[in-house]
Amino acid sequence: MNKSMILLRTLLLSTSQSNIYRHCRDKKKRGKIVGGLIGAALLYAMIMAYCIVMCIGYGKAGIIDAAPVMCALVISMLAFLFTFFKTNGYLFNFKEYDMLMSLPFEARTVAGCKFLYMYIKNLPWYLSISFAMMIGYGYYAHPLFFAYPIWIVLTFFLPGIPMLIASFLGFLIARISTGFRKTNIIQTVLTMVFVIFCFSLRFIIEDVFKNNKVEATLDKTSEITSNAAGVYLPAKWFEDAVTESSVSSILMLIGISVLLFAVTFRVVGNSYRSINSSLKSHAAAKKYKMTRQKRHNVVNSIAFKEYKRLVGSTSYTVNGAMGEILAILLGLVTLIIGFDRIVSVVTSDAPFDHAILQPAIPFIIYFFIGMAATTAMSPSLEGKNYWIIQSLPIEKRTVYQGKMLFNMYLTVPAMAFATLCMCISAKVPVPDTLLYLVLGFALCAFSTAWGCVCGIKHMRLDWENEIEVIKQGAAVAIYMLPNMFVVMGLVVLTVILGIRMDHRLLALGFIIITILLTVLSYLRVMALAKRS
Amino acid sequence: MLEIKNYSKTYGEGKKAADNVSLTVESGDIYGFIGHNGAGKSTTIRAVVGVLDFTEGEIFIDGHSVKDEPMECKKVTAYIPDNPDLYENLTGIQYLNFVADVFGISAAEREYRIKKYADMFEITDSLGDMISSYSHGMKQKAAIISALIHDPKLMVLDEPFVGLDPKAAFTLKEIMREMCNNGAAIFFSTHVLDVAEKLCNKVAIIKQGRIIATGTMEEITEGHSLEEAFLGDAFREADHE
Repeated sequence: MNKSMILLRTLLLSTSQSNIYRHCRDKKKRGKIVGGLIGAALLYAMIMAYCIVMCIGYGKAGIIDAAPVMCALVISMLAFLFTFFKTNGYLFNFKEYDMLMSLPFEARTVAGCKFLYMYIKNLPWYLSISFAMMIGYGYYAHPLFFAYPIWIVLTFFLPGIPMLIASFLGFLIARISTGFRKTNIIQTVLTMVFVIFCFSLRFIIEDVFKNNKVEATLDKTSEITSNAAGVYLPAKWFEDAVTESSVSSILMLIGISVLLFAVTFRVVGNSYRSINSSLKSHAAAKKYKMTRQKRHNVVNSIAFKEYKRLVGSTSYTVNGAMGEILAILLGLVTLIIGFDRIVSVVTSDAPFDHAILQPAIPFIIYFFIGMAATTAMSPSLEGKNYWIIQSLPIEKRTVYQGKMLFNMYLTVPAMAFATLCMCISAKVPVPDTLLYLVLGFALCAFSTAWGCVCGIKHMRLDWENEIEVIKQGAAVAIYMLPNMFVVMGLVVLTVILGIRMDHRLLALGFIIITILLTVLSYLRVMALAKRS
Repeated sequence: MLEIKNYSKTYGEGKKAADNVSLTVESGDIYGFIGHNGAGKSTTIRAVVGVLDFTEGEIFIDGHSVKDEPMECKKVTAYIPDNPDLYENLTGIQYLNFVADVFGISAAEREYRIKKYADMFEITDSLGDMISSYSHGMKQKAAIISALIHDPKLMVLDEPFVGLDPKAAFTLKEIMREMCNNGAAIFFSTHVLDVAEKLCNKVAIIKQGRIIATGTMEEITEGHSLEEAFLGDAFREADHE
């Protein structure tokens, strides 16, 4: 077995739940593993069901031909985002770097195996989407028999190119950052700038497609996918391979993926040691002069510790504070461009009175703010440092209060700023604005407390890499997924109710419900703190 | 076996963590690397084992340059960090097999070595348990066994005695002596001056990134104890500079 295979096998084994299950004697832990597997299976089943329903919709609308391109685009987009957010932590600046690099591995072998590890770990997502869409496509489009094996084989190659592009971008950001004194801060800023650029790109692309004078919604879906396939060639190759059994397209997709992998990791390998050396080494300034120290209360001290933990990690900052930054940007853009213009862009100039969206402003902002709660991650992020809070003479409830206070410090100012900007731009009356601010505050408090419930209930301290609890943790998934879907539903519900009800009464009703949910979540946190 | 020539490591803001470090470790040497916390010991050691990138100076292991032929160097070197980050969700035996696979050790040979050293460190019974269940000392023992599995020519250790129980520390010292008697070389950092004095035949003292004294134990101590030499004249001279 060659060294790449040995390393890849070990990387997979070291995070394999079945390996832990086999060798762990703790029944509670084994139960959690089984629960996690059932949860994951349900999640994949949900994704498959969603994709099949989407294909049924395409089939009924007579645009099933768009399914292969749509499948390729969705997988590519997911692969790009999953990889980009994990590059720092998996590819660079990972915990066991010293151990691996002291063994006789080439730098590019280590980097390449880390990449393949990410690929294999995310493969179930891509396969769920792809196979479900293949079934839907097969049912409605009745393709030739060869389409199925081609579809299955190429599914394994589809995520390759976007993942490699994301890895290379992550590498470039890391490479640029190492040229600066504050490497981590520069890396965080560059990553955030790039993510914001990606979000903006969605609107730019939409605008470009709009200029093609697409009219009907169904035509638009079909047109957008074919336009996107024109821009993003791997989607086109996938479509041609599946629909026309085009050998050249199959070879292009496979060949370019393999070639890009080889080239990327030759380039990355050349700078791998210097980048990691820079990211993992911090010079001590030794300039500190003893000054007068201040006393703070315990909860504030814990909140400050949480702040330092956040800004000390690029992955944590990008995932934990991205929603707040996007909310602030949304507020600024709304203030500059105007509420009506933004609504027109998002709703494709649909003819309706934009004022009906006003009651949904707090939920629109919460969609961003509530994307992630640091309280869902921070209990697990204690990791090996858990002993510190365990050994201190403070109650667990105080620790969690500190963690929750920090999340409030992070979310409330961003929420208040974005709400004020949107309300000013939408010319919302002052009393309504105040109610929206109160509702926004209540939503932040709910997100904080609910996040903490998930964080404590699904606390995982034995992680190898912080990304495991920041991006892939059960606590984050259980917090985020229902939260996002419920908020999207609430936006629609608020608009519908807002047409029939007084806006202030509606806001008041939501404030009461949110406060009730927050109190319940907070009490649950206190109960869990007492038990742990 | 190990030759460090004018090695310097500068961090972003121009601060030198290691400044023109030069020393030579011959086959058969047990070479102690002594210095205060933050003196530059770990920075130098990480560069020697190919983990840390450096621009100034040269490091050679068994005649090969760490910069230009890292693989040749790593094949004959073993490294034990001060706080080993092993794969927590592997069992001890899975981890040792991983390292043995990387070095291409045959099944019979690895069985013999793992059994020999695991028995010596008394962790044979725990090899089937997850590393996450190990104490710090047990992890250290697992790291030591993994370092010995390919019979290295040069063993580099960063604070190897921290966390080891007295028997394990004694066993490690015996192994180090045995290796050197067989022609290997040991280069290790330590704060335990008594151990260095009894174990090492050569010593280098580093302060603020610079080597301030190097040579055989007799040359360094000049009839005093190593502790006196470390805390006394040599450091005062350096402070005057």
